[in-house]
Amino acid sequence: MAPMDERSSSVTSSPLQLFSMMSPSPSLGSPYPWLRELKSEERGLCLIHLLLTCANHVASGSLENVNIALEQISQLASADGDTMQRIAAYFTEALADRILKTWSGLHKALNSTRISFPSEDILVRKLFFELFPFLKMAYVITNHTIIEAMEGERMVHIIDLNSAEPAQWIALLQALSARPEGPPHLRITGIHPQKEVLEQMAHRLTEEAEKLDIPFQFNPIVSKLENLDFEKLRVKTGEALAISSVLQLHSFLAYDDEFLRKKSSLASKNSNGVHLQRVLQLNQTTLGELLENDVVNRYSLSPDSASSSPPSFTGSPKMDGFLNALWGLTPKLMVITEQDSNHNGSTLMERLLESLYFYAALFDCLESTLPRTSIERLKVEKMLFGEEIKNIIACEGVERKERHEKLEKWIQRLDSAGFQSMPLSYYCMVQAKRLLQGYGCDGYRIKEEHGCAVICCQDRPLFSVSAWRNRK
Amino acid sequence: MVELDISSPMTVSTASREASVTSSGNQTAPQPVAPTKKKRNLPGTPDPDAEVIALSPKTLMATNRFVCEICNKGFQRDQNLQLHRRGHNLPWKLRQRTSKEVRKRVYVCPEPTCVHHDPTRALGDLTGIKKHFCRKHGEKKWKCERCSKKYAVQSDWKAHLKTCGTREYKCDCGTLFSRRDSFITHRAFCDALAQESARAQVLPSTNTEENPEIETAVSSSPTALTPSTTVLSIQSPGADMTENPVGVLQQAPATISLTTGTVTSSSSSSSTSVFASIFAPSTTPVTSQPSQSSSTFSDLICAMGRSERSTTLPSSSTAEPTLRLSSSLYLSNSASSLFPTPDQNHRHYAPSPQPAMSATALLQKAAQMGAAASNASLLRGLGLAMSPSSSAQKDSSTTQWSGHVKADSNPVGAGLGLGLPSEGGPALTGLMMGPSSLFVNKPTTLDLLGLGMVPGGASTAGLSALLTSISGGGLDIAAAGSPLGGAAAATAEAAPDRKHNGPALL
Repeated sequence: MAPMDERSSSVTSSPLQLFSMMSPSPSLGSPYPWLRELKSEERGLCLIHLLLTCANHVASGSLENVNIALEQISQLASADGDTMQRIAAYFTEALADRILKTWSGLHKALNSTRISFPSEDILVRKLFFELFPFLKMAYVITNHTIIEAMEGERMVHIIDLNSAEPAQWIALLQALSARPEGPPHLRITGIHPQKEVLEQMAHRLTEEAEKLDIPFQFNPIVSKLENLDFEKLRVKTGEALAISSVLQLHSFLAYDDEFLRKKSSLASKNSNGVHLQRVLQLNQTTLGELLENDVVNRYSLSPDSASSSPPSFTGSPKMDGFLNALWGLTPKLMVITEQDSNHNGSTLMERLLESLYFYAALFDCLESTLPRTSIERLKVEKMLFGEEIKNIIACEGVERKERHEKLEKWIQRLDSAGFQSMPLSYYCMVQAKRLLQGYGCDGYRIKEEHGCAVICCQDRPLFSVSAWRNRK
Repeated sequence: MVELDISSPMTVSTASREASVTSSGNQTAPQPVAPTKKKRNLPGTPDPDAEVIALSPKTLMATNRFVCEICNKGFQRDQNLQLHRRGHNLPWKLRQRTSKEVRKRVYVCPEPTCVHHDPTRALGDLTGIKKHFCRKHGEKKWKCERCSKKYAVQSDWKAHLKTCGTREYKCDCGTLFSRRDSFITHRAFCDALAQESARAQVLPSTNTEENPEIETAVSSSPTALTPSTTVLSIQSPGADMTENPVGVLQQAPATISLTTGTVTSSSSSSSTSVFASIFAPSTTPVTSQPSQSSSTFSDLICAMGRSERSTTLPSSSTAEPTLRLSSSLYLSNSASSLFPTPDQNHRHYAPSPQPAMSATALLQKAAQMGAAASNASLLRGLGLAMSPSSSAQKDSSTTQWSGHVKADSNPVGAGLGLGLPSEGGPALTGLMMGPSSLFVNKPTTLDLLGLGMVPGGASTAGLSALLTSISGGGLDIAAAGSPLGGAAAATAEAAPDRKHNGPALL
């Protein structure tokens, strides 16, 4: 094909040509037939433009434009087309959902007959585990860090904040049984809203532990994480505690918005008062320049409520509360896996742009793993990614649970909650890199950042794994 | 002469040593040729009803405790002394093993800070506890000449001498290693390896000529480990030539990693053996489980993957091709049982030359184009974005099309009572974009920002720029730390304008 610049010019020229050939009055049925003529790359670029346009209109509230844009996109996007088409399909569905929410009656009516199939949810999560290396890597790193931290311990208690995948703990059991000093007495407390999942876990794990002759106990806790009763965890003194959190913490940030609103309204009320005080001080003072400078600084630092993302630790009561409770358990180790991308911006456009890149990477991974006709792929795209995208784009406030943030923010947050970062060990990273290399699919990398592991696809950071313990 | 706390260990003679290894319930006499493996307790987890013996440090360190009174020759065992005494025509007595059941004995380390000082962590073997004490709490008197590594126990030292310097590993970058584990660790981070593997993995085609190339590529990448290269050479001629050599190639990195796993498990450093169990389906020496139990993580993953297609969840007895290290086929089996079951699917379905650009690439390209002026013309050409009414190329079709749409949308707008000002406004601009006037005023918003787009790191900044060009700056993007500070300032002005437009859906 022609080199880059030529290609771009051909893109600009051909639609123009097609455009000029277009019939004057488009019928309602297919207003833009020439759109179908586009080749996949042009179509992809077109889709991106349309998507951004549409999002812009959604953000600014111009509904007819939204409608037009959606109409145009619908000509090009498709849930079983190429990667860009699929992404566009899910993003536009999310945008449409967002708009629809403004007519809450309509929205409720359209969603009233939706049935959720828990077995499908479980299947989809399992597919995510199998088709991508992310969870596997997270588990390997978590297990390895646990084993390192628990060297010499005889009573180990692990709390799994979302206990759905037995493979993680089965691997840990095997590794523990191979310890030179012998396996410890192991207790795993699994938390999950669905009883059946926990029953399955219990069965698999106890079976494995019996085979390996490891004293083992599984305590299921059927509960949503936000309603977790810490008493039920029954953490005992004298046992070494490890907490494993895989993609669970970010949903606690969903409660921030209310708090922020109150806080910002308070701030705006007070700001005038504060400034008035300062002005008075300035008039009265005899200190002169120093104070003046100080006041100037204070003026310039007036609270800006339109910050790009919610302030990390000061404004997250639910999250802080949860982290404090975890801290109060005095774990020897806490391993946290989270998405490493900012999908928690306060404006729609920010979130859209970031999530576009993030999910583009994930969709690309799927494209190189499964064929387009694969049902499993469709399921993962629709039921997992599609739902996440919908949540990020269409929901606000408490409803928006997928509040992914960058690793730096998590580090800040955990730091101020009283945790100290434990850099992942050299061997751990070596093994993780090895595993990823052997995975076979190109483009996956794992790198180290601030002592944490970041798993990237094509240089786009996607997930991060970090280890923490209580600061002494 | 000898200080003992409890009973004399003299009764534990060599003959009974084997028996002492067995648990107290298991008294089968060892068969001469192929003894059935005695059940060994896991190290440091002794039998609860065994007799605990605490010996003093002196006893443990003593070498020749039994001395002949005539010639002062020292012996480690009483039996040997007695036999020696026969030579002096002295009365001698060989003590038999006590005929009643020998109670299992376990030994604790006298050093109070030691883990094995605790009776629950006692060791089961007298020789073992002696060696342990020397190694951990003794002085290292034996030194290897070559690498100056010191040992407290003579047998350790001798064992080391056999292997020291006999094997040397050389990384591609030229560094020499005498130790396998440090060599392997180094390799992981060596740049040369990274390049090699990057190159090696890219080779896709089904050319048979590739095979020797693949082999050299793999072997030149520092797999100086003999087993892997030999097995590779076994494999390649044996491998089906029609088989996709990508398969061979894909197995190669897995191969290397597998042998690493086995090697590290055999070297008994605690951390690496731990990895081995997680990472590679290796022989976990401690467990006497048969190989058909789905042993490790990766096996589970692929077993799950496979059985997911057929049955529900895998039972442990799925005789998957897990690792049979003894067989020469182990590499082909293990490579398949390692991580990449989805990889196999991937190989089947991987669209070789992908006609469609990946979405990530498209986004980056769009971001690039966002910085270029050609973008504006693309959008105008497409007639999809807002073409400002003042724009020169006002295609007739644009007017008609937009006019057509406008006719449609008006009732909608009115019906919903949104009262958008766009209805009354100038034909195109009002319809196409709310704060469109800004676009006319600032057609070169991008130039003002002076964005220098870099493809690799474009990411959000690029798309934001694109977005800016589409919306004509009427957008509130507050991307942190981006070069769009100017845009933010510009859009801050636009913000009040936008508030007139319908319900804010932010």
